[in-house]
Amino acid sequence: MAAGRNWNWFHRMGSPRWFYETTGRWLPWLWVLTLGLMLTGLIWGLAYAPQDAKQGNSFRIIYLHVPASFLALAGYYLMAIAGAIGLIWKMKLSYMVMKSAAPIGAALTFIALFTGAVWGKPTWGTYWVWDARITSMLILLFLYLGVLALQYAFHSQETGNKASAILALVGTVNIPIIYKSVDWWYTLHQPATIKFTSAPSMHMDMFQPLLVMIIAMYSFYGLALILYTRVEILRRERKSSWVRELALRTQPAQVDQ
Amino acid sequence: MSPQFDSLKQLWDMAGHGPYVWTAVLVSLAVLGWLLIRPVQQHRDNLQSIARQSQRQQLQQAASTSSAEPSEEDK
Repeated sequence: MAAGRNWNWFHRMGSPRWFYETTGRWLPWLWVLTLGLMLTGLIWGLAYAPQDAKQGNSFRIIYLHVPASFLALAGYYLMAIAGAIGLIWKMKLSYMVMKSAAPIGAALTFIALFTGAVWGKPTWGTYWVWDARITSMLILLFLYLGVLALQYAFHSQETGNKASAILALVGTVNIPIIYKSVDWWYTLHQPATIKFTSAPSMHMDMFQPLLVMIIAMYSFYGLALILYTRVEILRRERKSSWVRELALRTQPAQVDQ
Repeated sequence: MSPQFDSLKQLWDMAGHGPYVWTAVLVSLAVLGWLLIRPVQQHRDNLQSIARQSQRQQLQQAASTSSAEPSEEDK
């Protein structure tokens, strides 16, 4: 029985109702944190950071490009791990998190590709090139869209969840390729600016606002993931009594006849 | 730390790179904003439709159990 008690936290965490109520208390703080950091980082990066010696002002795109790319990649791992937990422990909440991560990841990958293209024009003289990094990011976008599409491709939610989770897991092969692409194939895309193993290859005055934007993007990701997961919880638990009581408590009377 | 541009006009132009930088910023912010607004709207719509449905069921139950004399709550 002791073993059963040790796993209590795990089962409670898997309860959609527990997730919904706990994150409900976090949401106001996350909104303030996200918007505050985002505003600070953007103003700092766009108006106060010194311009790059070689690239001039176009380098300021980095303050959106790098944070969005970071979260596009980290979000993919999160989605695949959520899918794996769903497959192994049949945890409903985990599948809901996986499904919620797909549109957010797709949007962030789109931002990474779009800002990269706009940055490429003044820097490389072209919007698009079939460079290893860029091509593998495009594949990431299709993986996200694939996971999303599989959710709606089956009549049974159960089958859709499993199919999405398997695609997400298989797709993780692509992530190390993206990370390493700038080193393996020395093509147009510049090597990473920030590495865990060494000091950033940019001036501190440029790096600090970038750090703020990266933290802001993590905060944004947490906020968006919670918001999407809560929608999914309401949708899948709409018949349960706690959701109906919540709806009746928070919504004014609507029936007019 | 000091401002890099003397006027809003300069900030907008960015010495010729303005169109690129601001396109990237505005499109990114539009996508990020959309990512947050969509679930907030869906959340509200879901709660409303669940509340409507529950109220309708409550009314139907009330009507079927006491169809002869409507109670105070039904009015």
